[in-house]
Amino acid sequence: MKSVKRRTIVAITSLVVLALVAAACGGSSSSGSNANGSGAAKGGTIREELQEFGWTSGFDPTGEYLGTAWALYDQMLMRGLMTYNHRDAAAGGDTPVPDIATGPPTVSEDGMTYEFELKTGVMFGPPVDREVTSKDIAYSFQRINTASLSALYGNYYCGVITGMTCDAEKVDTAIEGIDTPDATHITFHLDAPVGDFLYRLTMPATKAIPEEVAKCFTKAGDYGPYLISSSAYMFMGSEDLDISSCDTMKPISGYDVQKGMTLVRNPNYDPASDSTEIREANIDGLQQAINTNYDDIFQRLLDGEIDVAAGTPPKGVLLKFETDPTYAGWLHADPGDRTWYATMNLFAAPFDDVHVRKAVNLAFNKEGVRKAYGGEKRGQIATSVEPPAVLSLSESINPYSANTGAGNLDAAMEEMKQSRYDLDKNGVCDDGGACDDILFLGRNVDPWPEMDQVALASLQPILPGLTLKEVDTSTGYTTLQQMKKLVPISLVPGWGKDYGSPYGFDYYIFHSDGIYSCTGASNYSLVGLTKDFADECGIGAEYDAYVQNNGEVPSVDAKMEECVGKPASQIDQCFAELDTYVMETAVPWVPWIWANNWTSVNPTVNQYVFDQFAGTMSYINSAVDNGLAPENVA
Amino acid sequence: MLRYIIRRLIWLVFVLVVITAITYAIFFVLPGGGSEAIAQRFAGKAPRPEVVQEVKIQMGLDKPLGIQFFNFTKNLFIGDQYGWPGLGKSFTIRQPLKPILMERALVTLQLAVGAAIMWLLIGIPIGVLSALRPRTLFDRFAMMFALIGISIPVFVLGAVGLYAFVYKTHLLPGTGYKPLLEYGFQPWFSHFLLPWFVLALLYAAFYARLSRANLLEVMGEDFMRTARAKGLTERRVIVHHGLRASLTPLVTVFGLDMAGLLAGAVITERIFNIPGLGDLAIKSIGSQDVYAILDVTLIAAFIITFANLVVDIAYAFLDPRVRYE
Repeated sequence: MKSVKRRTIVAITSLVVLALVAAACGGSSSSGSNANGSGAAKGGTIREELQEFGWTSGFDPTGEYLGTAWALYDQMLMRGLMTYNHRDAAAGGDTPVPDIATGPPTVSEDGMTYEFELKTGVMFGPPVDREVTSKDIAYSFQRINTASLSALYGNYYCGVITGMTCDAEKVDTAIEGIDTPDATHITFHLDAPVGDFLYRLTMPATKAIPEEVAKCFTKAGDYGPYLISSSAYMFMGSEDLDISSCDTMKPISGYDVQKGMTLVRNPNYDPASDSTEIREANIDGLQQAINTNYDDIFQRLLDGEIDVAAGTPPKGVLLKFETDPTYAGWLHADPGDRTWYATMNLFAAPFDDVHVRKAVNLAFNKEGVRKAYGGEKRGQIATSVEPPAVLSLSESINPYSANTGAGNLDAAMEEMKQSRYDLDKNGVCDDGGACDDILFLGRNVDPWPEMDQVALASLQPILPGLTLKEVDTSTGYTTLQQMKKLVPISLVPGWGKDYGSPYGFDYYIFHSDGIYSCTGASNYSLVGLTKDFADECGIGAEYDAYVQNNGEVPSVDAKMEECVGKPASQIDQCFAELDTYVMETAVPWVPWIWANNWTSVNPTVNQYVFDQFAGTMSYINSAVDNGLAPENVA
Repeated sequence: MLRYIIRRLIWLVFVLVVITAITYAIFFVLPGGGSEAIAQRFAGKAPRPEVVQEVKIQMGLDKPLGIQFFNFTKNLFIGDQYGWPGLGKSFTIRQPLKPILMERALVTLQLAVGAAIMWLLIGIPIGVLSALRPRTLFDRFAMMFALIGISIPVFVLGAVGLYAFVYKTHLLPGTGYKPLLEYGFQPWFSHFLLPWFVLALLYAAFYARLSRANLLEVMGEDFMRTARAKGLTERRVIVHHGLRASLTPLVTVFGLDMAGLLAGAVITERIFNIPGLGDLAIKSIGSQDVYAILDVTLIAAFIITFANLVVDIAYAFLDPRVRYE
């Protein structure tokens, strides 16, 4: 029985992979400016300014955990076994496609072995100037496995690929579960089937890294300024890097984390080894420069001195974009695969009663908060946890449909009446000890204060004891992370996917592994908290009270493990069930928006494409008509 | 005098150690701080314990607080793996801080010196002329200018300057820093002109008022009357006797103002996108880059304390009444 099931899994996985490859290579999906292989004019340099890079790990692909960095790696600088087509979700932008793999892997019957064949002719850029081999892929996994390199999402591989533990002392420690029989073949042996393994192989940390250079950088983040290209572009000045020894290497001149980076075409890149469906590579270069004056960035965009600016435009500029026909089409709002939500702590009264949490879901004025946030262009009203581009079934999960967006006070009060904290059953939380002076943690940076007020106004009829406290964003997150603080409810957090499969969104926020320590959790609601951990972190009494009043603490750990072990074709359905449980039974959140990412472009950008995976403009598939050579822009 | 200087230098070292301790305490002892919290900020959005631990090791945060503080101050005075003084490594930039700080200090120095020249050239002549022609139309206009200059915040003046000279008229090239050796004189100068002016205007206004008040006071002194009685020309009386005496107090103020600017003209640098020490300070605070913050704080403290010392010594030369024993 088990064997038949596994064969089925493998067959379905293979079919799905083939379908994905066919979809990616067939160029069947195109719309508007996202037309694949559009034949856009080549040349020009995209000029973008940003206040700072904000890297989490020095732009070292092994540890870097910032979406904008992932965009640069995956689109421009690095190639790995799998990638994305760097287009929007409608064009398949969240679906993995082979990159330097010749095609989909051969998956064993038990779903625990993946064999890839590599293309020939994929070259590292100068000064390495050699072909990428399977050893370079294996080396990137050795880096992930090395403790000192702090692979921030190493858990997607460690404990998954046999022999990977993420605590190796040396980078050259071979990994038992990775075989490289020759230069063009690599095999992964897993400890258990993982249905979204191909998604994990799209991540930047898994891209090819040349050992002869990277071996010199054994501390987290150090390799960033020396990054060797294996893709269509490279740091300007890469050819001047002296790799004759570790001592002779000086940071590549085209990248200075304090000033900016300039990417130019990699002379060793052979388009024949790639696909224009994945990388049109229209531009001659990309310059990202640091400008600490945010207003000035957008003024320079209006003046045509730069081509792209990401983020929310200053009010005056936004008004122009929204009302002046001259600026029609300058502002792009693309689904960012990010959910903004109000988090409720399962162990903080009165939210330790599920009826209160449900009532909050029914009363919450999502429309109003979105309006204060910037209106419809900010994103789609969320009914469930995962953004639709990550889990297409999300839109059908709507257990609080009585709240059509503006909040439904009547329904909320009905729900509240079932709570033990509504003593006189009038739909209002009135149990003095638990219902008075309830902390509502908000943000003090625009436009949050207005959003906080709207949210508060919609909840106070059922929770009159809510007391708003606003802090800066960083303090907000660090406060939520401290378990003992037991923040009852907060509008501070948002969450984005790691990769376009549901596990890459849900894992850190609902799995108990997302409660890492007493002062570090991304699972702020504490879903799946265990008694031992509660005791260790000093909230044992609250844990006991929860169990006494409600029974078992809701957990999705087992379901999540079950889901991720399923073949790719069944993962979405399984996660839809998990998310339904989250929304109906655990109820840790009020998801209020599936947010868009905003990018402003000057008309010099004559083909704008959005990269769904990275959540940024697709530099690799967009085009610019400014006639500038990168060396003249730098 | 030598004994005085040595005493002040020892005092300077003591001040630096105390400031380091206070800054350390802010980050490591006060609520919300501590090694764990700092390390978590550099361990990604999902800070797994093993990654946090590795970050702590690499940042030296795995040691007891006292040892961390001792190591930091020890490295500061005897150097670290990146040379002397040991300023450590930025965990945000992932590079040794010493060359970064030196590069940024040089940028800030250019900003400060250029602005200082400008404000001295604007402020003192206006103040002197106002003092020589008190209660005239010029004097009233000059003092109105001073009042406006002092009253307008730099961020407003900067924004207005950018709007008027860059966005609207395109008379100046815009924000950013163009190194002299890399881009040549014209781009360097034209990019600094507006920040110099904005910064200078604030100080020039203050210096105009100060020099006017001082000169007016000096003009009524006995030695001025004596100088005139000796038959000296009015020009000689004012330039040789009046100005020297009236401008001496400005030395103190100038020294401290320059020191303050060298420690980082935070707002000006941010508005005009100038990568100086002030900009680094803001970025480091935002990203909780502890060692960068500590270093900038120390540099600021050093410059201000050292400037105080220089001012005191300069006083001895400028004012014969002052002697240090």
